[in-house]
Amino acid sequence: MMWILIISELVVFGAGLIAFMGVRLTDPAGFTAAQGHLNATAAGANTIILVTSGWLAALAQHAGAAGRVARLRLMLAGAAVLGALFLWIKGMEYAGKAAQGIDVETHPFFTFYYLLTGFHALHVAAGIVILALVGWKPTLRNLEVGTAFWHMVDLVWVLLFPIIYLLR
Amino acid sequence: MTATQGWLTLVALSAGSTLIAWGGGTGAWVNLAILALAWAKAQIVLNVYLGLAKVPGWSRGFALVLGLFMLAAMGLAAGAV
Repeated sequence: MMWILIISELVVFGAGLIAFMGVRLTDPAGFTAAQGHLNATAAGANTIILVTSGWLAALAQHAGAAGRVARLRLMLAGAAVLGALFLWIKGMEYAGKAAQGIDVETHPFFTFYYLLTGFHALHVAAGIVILALVGWKPTLRNLEVGTAFWHMVDLVWVLLFPIIYLLR
Repeated sequence: MTATQGWLTLVALSAGSTLIAWGGGTGAWVNLAILALAWAKAQIVLNVYLGLAKVPGWSRGFALVLGLFMLAAMGLAAGAV
């Protein structure tokens, strides 16, 4: 069941990113100018934070397989804390845009930006809740399902980050 | 590849793509390099973090779909330059 959710989420994000790149063809200069308002350094830091969080989730899986529940919970807690840090940085990014008067209607770039990064941030928030639930009831099945969702969030970001923040 | 090796590779590839962007270069080749690094990162997440390396059939299926997505993205990125 989780894999059906993961595949459907990947299809939704993939379609969104392809649509973004398709619309970008209609106004490359405008999209590049709009992208100049983004903080690629903060987003790059968030990439390191999220892949590190994914690593901790993978280590939690290994701990679970070895029956080391305390280590499993520690790794999941670390993954969740890094997820929260990701959201905090994302929140600062949104606040900076709001302070500049940038919203979803400023330019089509920002419509996609808020839609895709916002939808992803919601998945990060959901993933943190799921990791907490798995830490509370750490069966191997729960661990497999919960960490798979978290890795899906990771996978989406490694594709979203370069397309939204880096391509010129 | 272990989870730790995968993580280190992901960090290195992420730093690489950010450095390419910081370099201020523009053009189709810069975009294609950034997307190629993203493609490699996605493959690592799929095979190492999500464990698809243990189920080759699923791994090949995901790799095929990811490859089609990345080729479409690369084509659109090159077209926008």
